[in-house]
Parts: sequence; C-alpha cells; structure tokens
Amino acid sequence: MLEGPSAIRAVLDQFLDQLESCVPALRRYARALTRNVDLADDLVQDCLERALAKRGLFRPTGPVRAWLFTILLNLHRNARRSSLRRGTEVDIDDLPEMATPAPQPGHIALAEMARAIETLPPEQKEALLLVALEGLPYQEAADILQIPIGTLMSRLGRARAALRLATGTPSEPHLRTVK
Amino acid sequence: MTPITRDMLMAYCDGQLGDADRSAVETHLAANPDAMAEVALIQRQNHAIQTLFAPAGAEPVPARLKPARLAEAQKSRRWQTLQRAAMITALLGIGMAAGWLLRPSGGSPQLYDRLIADAVSAHTVYVAENRHAVEVAGDDSEHLSTWLSNRLATNLAMPDLSAQGLTFLGGRLLPAPAIPGGRAAQLMYEDRGGERLTLYITPAQGVDGPDYEKIAFGADTALYWANTLITCTIVGNEQPETLQAIANTVFAQLSPGQAAERVYRG
Repeated sequence: MLEGPSAIRAVLDQFLDQLESCVPALRRYARALTRNVDLADDLVQDCLERALAKRGLFRPTGPVRAWLFTILLNLHRNARRSSLRRGTEVDIDDLPEMATPAPQPGHIALAEMARAIETLPPEQKEALLLVALEGLPYQEAADILQIPIGTLMSRLGRARAALRLATGTPSEPHLRTVK
Repeated sequence: MTPITRDMLMAYCDGQLGDADRSAVETHLAANPDAMAEVALIQRQNHAIQTLFAPAGAEPVPARLKPARLAEAQKSRRWQTLQRAAMITALLGIGMAAGWLLRPSGGSPQLYDRLIADAVSAHTVYVAENRHAVEVAGDDSEHLSTWLSNRLATNLAMPDLSAQGLTFLGGRLLPAPAIPGGRAAQLMYEDRGGERLTLYITPAQGVDGPDYEKIAFGADTALYWANTLITCTIVGNEQPETLQAIANTVFAQLSPGQAAERVYRG
C-alpha cells in the first residue's frame, strides 16, 4: 500500500532503477536496428521519455524490460515508416566496412553478416536480434513483438536461412532425416 | 523419445531448452552429422551477431540517457506547461471580461460594468498564482484591515467565510482603472479543494448603477453588489446558489446594520 509522498518517491526511484538497468540492452538493440549511434541513442531517449510519461499506466509488477522493448520497437517502426516516406533510407553500400578476416571454412565474415542482416525484412531482423543478440526467451520476444511464439520461430527460421544464403556459407547437406 | 525437429535444433542453439530436451538434442547430434552441421551454422551466426553488436551494450551510457535526469527534465517541462496554461487561462479571462464589456448593448459600458470586468480580470490573474497569490497573508488580518481601510478611505473588515468552508488567504491593493485615481482591495479565499474565490472591493463614491448584478464568465460567476459606501464583486466558480449564500455572509459582515435582504434582489 502506498502511504504518503515518501512511499511514492520510493516507487518512482525503483522504477527509475529498473529503467536504468535496461538502458545498455536498449542501446545495443537500437544500435543493431539502426546501425547509427546517434539515431539509436535518440530512439532510446524517446523510449525512456515515453516510458516515464506513461508510467502511470504501468503495473509495477509487470516485466519492465519487455514493455520498454515494445515501446522502442514501436518508435523505431514509426521512424522507419516516415523515413521511407521521405526516402532517406540508409544505403547498404554506405554502411561502414568491418575488418574482414579472410573467409575460412567455418567462419562467417562479419562485414558480410552485417550486410546480410540489413537485407532481412524488418520483422525478421527485429525477431532475430531479440533472440540472437539480446538472448531473450522465445516467449518474451514473442510478447514484445506481439506475435504468437510459432510465428516468432518461423521468422527466426526464415531469417537464418536468408543469412545462410547471403553469407555464402557452403551449402549444407540436405536435412531430410530431421523430423 | 521426443522427435528432434528443426525448431528444436534452433531452440537448442538459442539456449531455450530445458535440461531433458537439451540432452535429447545432444544425443541426437552425436549420431547425426547433418544436424550437427546445422547447429554449428546457427551457432556461428549467433556468434557473428554478438560480435558485431554486443559491444554497444558495454559502452558507458551518455548522461542524456539517465532515467533520473530525464524524469527531472520532464517534471520541469510539465511545470512550464502548467504555467503556460495558467497564463492562457488568465489571458482568456481578461479577454472574456473585455469582450463582455464590449457586448452589443448600445452605449459605452457603465462604470459598474467596468468594475465587474476589472474584478474578473484581477481574479483570473491572481488565483493562478501560487506563491504570490496575495500581497499580505490572511493571518495578519488586523494589519490588512487597517491598511486597506486607509487606502480605500473606508472602514473595511475582512469577512470571515470559514462557515462556508473558505479559508482567508489574504489580500492585495489594486488599481481600480474604472475609477479615476481609484483603488480596489482584492481579498482571496480558498476552499478545501484548493478552489479560490475573490472579493474585489471599491469605495462606492461616484459609482452609479444597480445595487446587484450577476454575470457568468465561462466557469466563473461574478456577483456584484453596491451599497452607499462600497461596491463588492465576488468572483468564483461556485454554484450560483452557493455563491449567493457566500454573498449574503459577505454583505452582512461588510455592511453591518444594513438589511441582508438587499442581496436577494435579482
């Protein structure tokens, strides 16, 4: 039960701490989505401001992290839509080159991988990064994206197949026995 | 034994499996080089993604992304917005009063009309003030009474409206632009909900017109009355009946000896 201003203050401080603990992950995810330091931090700032403004609507017991990722993604999608309308999408060829070790069997060239991720449809990229980069449980990632877990897994499967093709990994032996 | 699907291999790579499923997959992998190759590829992809993007999460967080700081900034912005809203309300109040003065009634506004308009403007400006709502606080009621009585050259008691649930906040001296060289006293009261009511009192000398007038300005109502000594305009957003009851009390205290029934007219 809340009693008086000091209790309210404590709840706010706790909320601020929860936000703060999520900031590194939000930055990392935003950076991977946008491939731009400033855009990514703008996105995180917008996300935090939105969360602060909406904190009255938030149940303190719920998962703050998933809620923040959902806000961030919505902001990112809105920004992407309006930048598509303005036609200022970043060209893949303009992306910075990564130090590329000579491709060896069993290695995936990082630059190639970075470009391949850029070519993924947005919904596959969003899903893949939540799982492969953020290491979130499938259920939480599905909740963030507001899709069923089966849809999440099929997006992940398609994203990985596309990356395999784009990174020129030698074709795998066909998996017919797997069922 | 659980059949090992492609989704399970993926879930295995993503660390999503429980102990039982994980060891089942590992047993399967040991016997199936194809599945092993698939798993190795997904793991290499995951590793590449982490190598590319994970470092961003280890960078020091810039100050502009500190939640506590953002919360502070938001709070001060909200204050500014509130203050701006209060200012706009004040301007609107003044606008309404001015508009009412210029209402198409023929002829120039009467002096008492302008007193009412000034009362409404002063009300709108000062009830929005937090720290400077009054010039002299109500707890020094005696001094306030002496001071304002001297300035207005009339004997002015500070009405006690505690029976109506109103606390006396204090008062200030204002120009009464409607009267040449005129002065007015504004007294402010506040109810338990923080809603404020003001009295705008001037000497009655030279003021013609009706003894009683009631006008609604948006959410506020102005109730004007005059006797031989003073005019008083009560402005507040109370219900008309409540305001009427307050007016009776004010009248009784400001004009002891005069019949309170006069306020009922109109």
